[in-house]
Amino acid sequence: MIYIIDHNDSFTHNVVHQFSRFGKVECDNFNDINETKLKKSKVLVLSPGPGAPKDYPLISRIYKKYKGEKKIIGICLGFQQILYCEKGKIIEQNKIYHGFQSKIKVTNKSLLFKKGQKFTVGRYHSLKLKEPFFAKNFEITMRCAISNVAMALENNNEKIYGFQFHPESFLTENGNLLIKKILSA
Amino acid sequence: MTKNNYLKEIAKSQKPFIIYKSNKGFDLYTDFSKKIILSNKNIKNFINNSTKKKTKNKETDLYIGFFGYEILNNLIDVKIKKQKGLKFPKGIFYKPETKKKLSNKLNYKSSENLKSKSTFNVNLNKASYKSIFNKFKKKIKSGETYQIKICTKYRNNSKIDALDFFCRLTKSNMAPEAFMINDKNYSIISCSPENLITKNRNFISTKPIAGTLKKSKKLNKSKALSFFKKNIKETKEHNMIVDMERSDLSKICEAGSVRIIKKKIVEEYKDLYHYVSLIAGKLRKNTSSLEIIKAMMPGGSVIGCPKISTLNLLNNQERENRNIYTGSFGYLKFNGDMRFNIIIRSILNYQNQSEISVASGAVIDSNASHEFNENYIKAKALIDLYR
Repeated sequence: MIYIIDHNDSFTHNVVHQFSRFGKVECDNFNDINETKLKKSKVLVLSPGPGAPKDYPLISRIYKKYKGEKKIIGICLGFQQILYCEKGKIIEQNKIYHGFQSKIKVTNKSLLFKKGQKFTVGRYHSLKLKEPFFAKNFEITMRCAISNVAMALENNNEKIYGFQFHPESFLTENGNLLIKKILSA
Repeated sequence: MTKNNYLKEIAKSQKPFIIYKSNKGFDLYTDFSKKIILSNKNIKNFINNSTKKKTKNKETDLYIGFFGYEILNNLIDVKIKKQKGLKFPKGIFYKPETKKKLSNKLNYKSSENLKSKSTFNVNLNKASYKSIFNKFKKKIKSGETYQIKICTKYRNNSKIDALDFFCRLTKSNMAPEAFMINDKNYSIISCSPENLITKNRNFISTKPIAGTLKKSKKLNKSKALSFFKKNIKETKEHNMIVDMERSDLSKICEAGSVRIIKKKIVEEYKDLYHYVSLIAGKLRKNTSSLEIIKAMMPGGSVIGCPKISTLNLLNNQERENRNIYTGSFGYLKFNGDMRFNIIIRSILNYQNQSEISVASGAVIDSNASHEFNENYIKAKALIDLYR
C-alpha cells in the first residue's frame, strides 16, 4: 500500500490519482496520520504543500523513523522535507516559479534515467535547495535546464526519491512514466 | 417561452422570485413553499436531506438559493474571526412551486425612479491595498501561498428595483451564470460568468475562468488567445487553477477519470473574452451531496492557491464579512443533481445598502496599482447601473 501524507495542499489529490495507477493508495492529512496505515505501508509519499519543511516537525520525525525501512518519495515540499532532514538548507529563490512550465535535464548521477534526457515539467515552488549539498547516498539527479536548480534526488541504497517539480501536474509531460520508474526501482 | 409582460406581473405581485440563466434563456422560479435560512448547525442536514427526497422528477423538485462565503469556510473547518458588516444571513434556499421559461430578452422598466445619487465608497484605499498586497507578496516568497485574491468592497446607500437592474445588466453583459433573487427584505443581482459545479448523475464538471480581456475593435478572438498565451502571468495563474480544480474533483471522482475537456480556450461574451478551461470526472459511487460541496466550495479560482492556507491568510486579514461574495448560488435537485456558480460580479442590496465586492489576484509578478485599478474596472460595470 502507498501511504500519501497530505500537507493540506490543493494538488494532493492529483498525486493520489497518479499513484493509484500503480497500486492501492491511502491518503491522510498530516494532522491526522493513521499509525496503522503508516506502519503497514510499503511506500510513503510526502505531498506538496504550503510553507517550508521546518513548519512540519512531525513529518521530519516520521521521515527519520522510516528512512531505510520503506521507500520514501517526496514531491515539491516533500522533496524539500527529505533534503531538510538530510541537513540541506532550503532557501527562498529570487525568481519564483508558480504554474510555470520549464525544461529540466537528467544529470550524470542518475541510475534510473538516461543522462542528458530532457523533460517538460510543471513547477510550483517558492523555495529551493541551497547548494553545494552533500549527504551520504544522495545524488541530485535532475536540474533546471536554465538555472541549474536541483529538481530531483535519488538515494538508490535506501530507496528515497524526490521531485521538486510536480509529476502529477497537467503541465508535466510523461509524469506517469517518472512515477512508474521510481515505484519499480 | 412566457411573454415578457410576465415580468411586470411578477414585479407587481410582490412575490419573492429568482431568475437564473438557462441554456436558451432564463428560468424564473417563484411561489416558494419553503424558505430555509442556513446556519452552521443546520447546513449539513439541509444538504444531505434535500437530495434524499422522493421525487417524481418534477421541474420544481429542487432547492434553489445560495451559500455565503463564511458558511462554506465553516463547512471545511476553516475558521473566521469576528468580522464587521451587514448582519446578512449566511445562506438561504427556497423550494419553488412554479418554474417559468423566459427568453434571453428580458424587458422590464421600473415605474418609479429609484436611481440613487449616493456615491460609492470603497473600503480600502490604494495605500492600504498596497500594504496588504506587499504583505501577501512576502507570503508568496516564503511559499505559504502561490496566488491570493485581495477583495475590495464598494458600498452606497440605496434602495433598488432589482428586476430593473438585472434586466439592464443582462443587456450590457449576458453572463452564463447570471442570476437574481428578489425577496421581501433583500435582493441579489449577479452577472457571474463562472460555473463551479455541474452534476448530472455520476458526471461532474467545473469550468474555471482565469484571465479576462475587455473586447475592443482591434481585438478579435484569435488575438485574445494569443494575448493570453503570450502573457506569462495570466498563463501561470490559469495553470495553477487548472491543477487545483483537477485536485478538488479528484477528491470525489474515480481514480483516473478526471480529464481536462477544454484546455485553456477563449470564450467570447458581449463585452469580454474569458480564458477558460473545462474539467470533468466520473463521481465515485455513493458520493454524497455534502462531500461534493465540501470538495469544491468555496470555488478555488476566486480564492487563490493552495486553498486552505490561502483562506487562512485572507481570513486573518479581512475585517469585513464577505457575505455572498465568493460563495455559490445554484440548485440542488431532489435526485441529487446540482448546478452551482461562483458568486462574483454581484450586488447585494440589504437594509437600503448596496454592496459590490471585487477581487483580483496577487501573484509574484503582479503589480499593486494595476490590480487595484483592475478591481475598480470590475466594480464599475455594476456601479454604472446606478446612474
